Amino acid sequence: MSAQAPPRAGRDWTPYLLVLPTFAYLGIFFVYPMAQAIWLSLTDPHGQLTLEHFRRMGGDLYFSQAIRYTLLITAVAVPLQVALGLVIALLVNTRFRGHSLFLYVCAVPIGISDLAAGLIWLSIFTERGYLNAFLGAAGLLQQPLTFLTYERPEWLLGAIILTEVWRATAIVMVILLAGLQLIPKDYLETAQVFGAGRWQTARHVLLPLLKPSLQTALIIRTILAFQLFATVITLAGRLVPVLAGESYFWYSLYRSPQVASAYAVLILGLSSVITWVYLRLLRQREVEATA
Amino acid sequence: MRGLRRLAAVIVLVLLVPVGQGISAPVQEIVFTSNQFTPIDEQEWARGTLLAQFTRETGIQVRFITENEGPYVDRLIAEGKAGRGTIDVTGTLHGIFPVLVTENVIRDVAPIQAQIDGRKDRTFYKDLLAVTKVENVQAFVPWMQATYLMAASKEALKYFPAGRNPMQMTYDDLLEWGENIKQATGQRRIGFPVGPRGLYGRFLHGYVYPSFTGSQVKAFKSAEAVEMWRYLRRLWGVTHPSSFLYEFMSEPLLLGEVWVAWDHTARLIPALRQRPNDFVVLPSPAGPKGRSFLSVVVGLSIPRTAPNPELGARLIEYLTRPATQVMTLQGVAFFPVSPEAATAVPTGGLKVVADGVSAQAGARDARTALLPVGLGGRTGEFVPIYVDAFRLIAVQGQKIEDVLAGQARKLEELYRAQNAPCAPPDPAIRPCKPD
Repeated sequence: MSAQAPPRAGRDWTPYLLVLPTFAYLGIFFVYPMAQAIWLSLTDPHGQLTLEHFRRMGGDLYFSQAIRYTLLITAVAVPLQVALGLVIALLVNTRFRGHSLFLYVCAVPIGISDLAAGLIWLSIFTERGYLNAFLGAAGLLQQPLTFLTYERPEWLLGAIILTEVWRATAIVMVILLAGLQLIPKDYLETAQVFGAGRWQTARHVLLPLLKPSLQTALIIRTILAFQLFATVITLAGRLVPVLAGESYFWYSLYRSPQVASAYAVLILGLSSVITWVYLRLLRQREVEATA
Repeated sequence: MRGLRRLAAVIVLVLLVPVGQGISAPVQEIVFTSNQFTPIDEQEWARGTLLAQFTRETGIQVRFITENEGPYVDRLIAEGKAGRGTIDVTGTLHGIFPVLVTENVIRDVAPIQAQIDGRKDRTFYKDLLAVTKVENVQAFVPWMQATYLMAASKEALKYFPAGRNPMQMTYDDLLEWGENIKQATGQRRIGFPVGPRGLYGRFLHGYVYPSFTGSQVKAFKSAEAVEMWRYLRRLWGVTHPSSFLYEFMSEPLLLGEVWVAWDHTARLIPALRQRPNDFVVLPSPAGPKGRSFLSVVVGLSIPRTAPNPELGARLIEYLTRPATQVMTLQGVAFFPVSPEAATAVPTGGLKVVADGVSAQAGARDARTALLPVGLGGRTGEFVPIYVDAFRLIAVQGQKIEDVLAGQARKLEELYRAQNAPCAPPDPAIRPCKPD
C-alpha cells in the first residue's frame, strides 16, 4: 500500500476539481431537496418537531393499501423483468443473424415515458380498445369485455404488471448485455475445452461473472418500482393506490406538502433498505468466491 | 491570453445587446396565471384567440400560465411571502379566494370594480357579486361561470323510463334508466368521473347530498343521508365499472362506453362539439329535497405583489366585457356573468349545453348549492371526505352508518379547526357541524 501512496508534497487537487461539478449538482438538486422534504415531514408550520404528518399518513384510508400494492407489484414485476431481460440479453449475445435489429426492437420501450406506456396499454385494455376489437373480429366475443373493472382488482394488477414488464425489461436487458460483453471470451473458450455444454457454461461461468450487472439492474429496477406512479394512475386510477401516487395526491389534491413529504421520506427509507440488502447479499457472495 | 480576452469581450457584448434592446423599446408584458383552462385545447384557445385579441388591441403581451390547483396556489403564496412577484392577474374558482385573502396575497379589487362599473357597458348578476366579498374585501371581479349537468346519447333516450320526462328527471328515473339499459343490452352505460382527477366529489357534496337531505354538511349522517347512500350503491351497480378511470366524461361518451354521463360543462363540451346531433344535455336529477346543483364562479384578481397592476386592471376590463364573455362561451363553454352577454344565442353543441343549463337553473324545484368557503389552507381536504366515504361504502362495501359516523368526525374537526361557516343550502352557522 505505502509504495503506491502519492508523495505528500504538492497534493494533486485535479480529481477533486473534476468531481466538484457532480458533487455540486447532486448537492443542489438531490441532497438539498431531500433534506427539505425530511424537514417538511417532521415539522409543523411553527418549525416545531412533530410526528403528526406521519400519523396522518398512517391513518389514511389508502396508506396500508398503498404499501401492500407497491410491494406486491415490485415483488412480481422486478423478478419478471430481470428474468426476461436476462433471456433476451443471452439471446442477443449469441449474435444470431439479425440480432442487432432484434436488439433495437426490444429496446424501443426505453424511449417511451411511463405515462405514454400506460396510455398505450390503456388503449389496448379499455372496453372499446384494441383487445376487445381483436377478440370481437376473431368471433370470440359477442359483447365487449370490461377488463379494467373495480370488480376485478387482480385484472387491474395484471395489466399494471404487464405494462411495467413491457416498459422496463429493456433497460434490464441493456445493463445485462453490457455486462455480458465485458466477460472475456477466454473463459467461455476454456469452458468449451473442458467440455461444458451451453447450459453449464451459462450456469457456472456467465451467471457468476454477471453478478455485478445483475446487482445494478436489481437495485435500479427495485428503486424505480417503489416510485411507480404514472402507469398505475392511467390503468387503475386510485383503485390500486401506490406510495408515489399517494405522495402526489396529498400534494396536489389535499394540498398538504407535509404529508406528501412523509410519503417521500417513506419511499426514500424503503429504497435505502432494499439497496443495502442487495449490496450486502452480493458482497457476502464475493467473499465466498474469493475464499 | 489576448485571444481569451477578445472572446470574453464578445461574450459580454452578446449578453448586453438584448438588455440594451429591452431598454430602447419597452415591450409591455404581463403575466396571467390561472388554474382554469388546463386542458391543452383550452390553453391554445386562451393564448391564440382570447388573449391574442387583447394584445392586438392594446399592444400588451400576455404570458398565460395555467397549472393545477396545487402548484398554482403555491406560486401565488410564495410570491406573496417573498414580497416580490411576477404575476399581474390571476383567475380562479371563488372557493380558492378565501385562501388567497387569508394568506394576504391579493388586493381588494373594489376600486377596479368601481372603474368597470363606471363604464356603464356591463352589469354583473347580483348573486355572483355577493360571493365576491371575502372578509370585508372584494376578492375578485366575476369572470365566468360554469355548472355540472348530465349528457346522454340519443340512443340511450329510448330506454328512458316510459311516461317520464328526461328534462325533469329524478334520481329514481336515473336508476331505472340505467337498469333498463342493462336489461336490454347487458351493459352498464351510466358513467361518472370517479377517476383521480375527476369531479365526482362535486356530485356527492353539491348534487346528490342536497337533493336527498337538503344539506351538504349538517345532514351528513342523517337518516336521509343513509337512504341516499343506499340509493348510490344501487346506482353504482348500473354504472360503468371503468368509471374509476374517467376524468373527462366527453371521452367515454364519444367512445360509446358510456351513454349517460354527469360532468362539468367544460368536460362535456368536446363530445357535443364533435357530434352535436348525437347527444342531448339534461338537467341534473331531482331528489326528495329538490334539484340541487352547484354554481361555479370563476373570478379575476390582482396580487399585492403585481409589478404592473394598471395593465392587469386593463386585462380584467377586457376579459369581463360582454363581447369577450360571449367569445369565452363560444370558445370554452364557460357561461357569462353579465346579463348583457347572456342574450347572445349560441349554436350547435353549445346550444345543446345552454339549453340544458337553463333547464337546470330554471327548473321549478331548482336549488343552488355553493362550494364551501372559509376552509383556508385546508380547502383541499373537504371533497376527499365525501369521495372516501363513497369508496368505503360503494366499493369496499362497509356499513353505511359506521362510515358516515367516521367521516362526519373528520368534517367536524375540519370545520372547527378553521371556524368556517356552512355553505348554502345549509344555514351559515359557524363553525359548520354535522348533526
